[in-house]
Amino acid sequence: MKTFYVNARYLIVPVMTIATILGLFIGNYFAWLGVILFGLNTIVDTLTKNIHLRADFDDNGNSYGIKRLQYAVMYLMLPAFIFLQVILAWRLYQYTSVTSFETLSFLGLSYQSGITGFNLIGSVLSAGLWAGLGIIYGHELSHNRKEGFLVSRLIMALSGASHFTYAHVYNHHLDLGHEDDPATAPRGRNVYSHAWLSHVGQSQYSYDLERDKLKKQKKSFFSLSNKWILGYLYSLPSILLFVWAGGVLGVLSLTVIWAISNFLLEALNFMGHYGLIREKGKPVEHRHSWDNDNLFTSWFFIEIGRQGDHHVRGETYFWELDDVDAPNYGIGYFSLFVLTLFPPVFRRFTQKLLDDWDENKATVAEKEIANQFKNLSIS
Amino acid sequence: MFSLFKKKSSSYSATLMPSGKEIRVKRGENLLTAALSAGVKWPYKCRVGSCGTCKCKILDGKISPEIDFGYVLNFDELNDGYALACQTALKTDIKVMVNLKK
Ligand code: FES
Repeated sequence: MKTFYVNARYLIVPVMTIATILGLFIGNYFAWLGVILFGLNTIVDTLTKNIHLRADFDDNGNSYGIKRLQYAVMYLMLPAFIFLQVILAWRLYQYTSVTSFETLSFLGLSYQSGITGFNLIGSVLSAGLWAGLGIIYGHELSHNRKEGFLVSRLIMALSGASHFTYAHVYNHHLDLGHEDDPATAPRGRNVYSHAWLSHVGQSQYSYDLERDKLKKQKKSFFSLSNKWILGYLYSLPSILLFVWAGGVLGVLSLTVIWAISNFLLEALNFMGHYGLIREKGKPVEHRHSWDNDNLFTSWFFIEIGRQGDHHVRGETYFWELDDVDAPNYGIGYFSLFVLTLFPPVFRRFTQKLLDDWDENKATVAEKEIANQFKNLSIS
Repeated sequence: MFSLFKKKSSSYSATLMPSGKEIRVKRGENLLTAALSAGVKWPYKCRVGSCGTCKCKILDGKISPEIDFGYVLNFDELNDGYALACQTALKTDIKVMVNLKK
């Protein structure tokens, strides 16, 4: 029973992604289902902010997670996200070809053929939000062996962000909390500029990584061994699909989807390490990441919020990550995300937490760096 | 021909040089994790294959790299059989040279 409970609780995103796909398929106002679910999740996350659980292990210290099942689910999210884009492209095609409105049925499921401009907007927003949330699988698989790594790259490529997989492992995990890591947001930065700076910075890192690697191997930069180029090529099918389905409108829709999904990705990076400081060359410790581990966030985001443990034991399966007394925002990702959208509110919220970090967790050298920010009136 | 049907071992041994200490590495486990669980003071930092701290030299036997070592190890090191223990699974029993922490 416990095994079932531990494994089933991580299925919220797959179930809701399928619901979003069905919403797009059924059409009419159901096209907005993905947006509505996102809103409902924010409410549930806020309501459960005070429930924190530890990881579950049996008396022998073995975890209840079934590796094969959890990996099968993560791998299956790739076709699910592809399907999400295909269904949206089909709706775009209907809109641009002015398909007439009628109720039809497919395998016993009735759906509305044809789509209004209003519901098309709902479809694009729904697809963007869920493609963005799907990035949690891209992240998890980036820490895995060959085939998992490739699936991660492909999932990220659906959002035009395949460079993430390399930058995350080789840059973020190594340079965390330091200015060399574009994914760590320094104090005073807001989520909007972070989204852009982090995205471009990680892509630049991945570019440099490949350039240096190929130079060492005496190969041309323009080669299929170049993972930076290859990553963008993986995104080509999405581009072609949307151009075919909607022409200019298709390109616009894909741009919106990529903007939303990358914004969500970078918001996660932003929340994970905002304002925390690490001296270069010193080991990564639990204090260099913020934990977001209330019940709903933990289950929904497959424990990605246990950043403290994840950054110290990067090879650990998500269902084994635990509370390690890392700095904690005390609220979940959905609720915190809403705060980040209002930078002055977010800064006020984090001010006390950062003061506490400086006082009780930072080393002398880290405190000195924090003081430099304070002297510049950045908090 | 028959090796195609040979059952894979559920664990392999790694002999750590220069001490000669032997540890078991289970299938699905990496060299670093196995060494740390056996109480070996193997140096490490990131455990995701990005820092190079867990670097070691494979003297004998076959391994399966879980990621491309080419981003962290240089050309000569790769040719000399160096590996990142945190991203190394074993394919056979191995002998490995490592500079352990004091
Ligand atoms: S511990 Fe960093 S590469 Fe292995």
